[in-house]
Amino acid sequence: MSFVESFRLTLDGEDHAVPIADGETLLQAALAAGIDAPYSCTEGRCGTCKSWLRNGEVSMASTRALSPRNKERGYVLACQSRPSSSTPIWLDFDI
Amino acid sequence: MQIGTIDSVWRYPVKGMRGEEVPHIYTAYTGLMGDRIYGVVAADGDPGHPWHTGRNQEEFVLYKASYVSSEELLLPKNLDATYSEWEPGIDPLYPDADAFKVNVETPTGVTYDDIEDPAFIADLEKLTGRSLRIHTTQRGIFDARPVSIFSLSAAAKLGEELGMNVDKRRFRANFYVEWDDQDDPFYENTLVGKTLKIGEWLEVVIVERDPRCTMITLDPDTAEETPRLLRHLARKHAGDAGVFAAVLQRGRVNKGDRITLK
Repeated sequence: MSFVESFRLTLDGEDHAVPIADGETLLQAALAAGIDAPYSCTEGRCGTCKSWLRNGEVSMASTRALSPRNKERGYVLACQSRPSSSTPIWLDFDI
Repeated sequence: MQIGTIDSVWRYPVKGMRGEEVPHIYTAYTGLMGDRIYGVVAADGDPGHPWHTGRNQEEFVLYKASYVSSEELLLPKNLDATYSEWEPGIDPLYPDADAFKVNVETPTGVTYDDIEDPAFIADLEKLTGRSLRIHTTQRGIFDARPVSIFSLSAAAKLGEELGMNVDKRRFRANFYVEWDDQDDPFYENTLVGKTLKIGEWLEVVIVERDPRCTMITLDPDTAEETPRLLRHLARKHAGDAGVFAAVLQRGRVNKGDRITLK
């Protein structure tokens, strides 16, 4: 069972409610919902899906493309992020 | 057929640090002379890409590395002889290792006369909290290919699309070029698989487009991050900017050299 059934995603100034299935990353869920979310390597290396986790908690398999400054600012890699609590998630790509 | 000219020639003595523009350079099969000779390896780095760069410390792109013997590292002393006497070419003699000594100036103005001075690494470790060491090789440290090419028109077009000034130096290319064909700002993308002659001697084959990472989001003068640049590139340009080349015939390249399609 997933911690959350959907999450809020902001991209290009628009808010979306994105359903997410158990085991999906935030990026996978966004793409499945038809959102033109930015991504490239999907392995946590390139940083293209870097975004701001404005609310909620996620676990990331890799944080290679995140600097200490990025982490301090609350940035995450959408391709690596899976919900890790029931706290509502708000992911903002407009950084 | 001429397709463009070399706007400027750049090399990066230390991988990830600020580059230096040079008036001309010898380009070998292994890349530009003096390009990415040093790298900083992180003990906790990814096994496939262990380098400490701006991805880990944004201000690293502001570190200025300079060769103490810069002039000596532009052209091998016996280059002309290898052209004329040993056709199709004997590998020119590079200077001794001492000539590759590089000094480093940090963004805060601290200068180290030699990057291999233990104080440099000790201070960087203290600043970053990482276990680091210097790696050096005269063959160059490249992520993918030994030569990278990026056009001024691509930088300008990306800037236009994003409504911001896109400094070409974000793309850390070896050769910035100006294409004669101004109708396609990303003309280099059409050259994959083709062979170019640059100047009198150098021949390269364009191997592939250059997939970009977070490094291009860093302003080369302030290290401030603009993630939307990479985001835009991914969504509108398949994540690529510029092209990689492999060297088929070595030689000297000068600023202003003509680029012809073979």
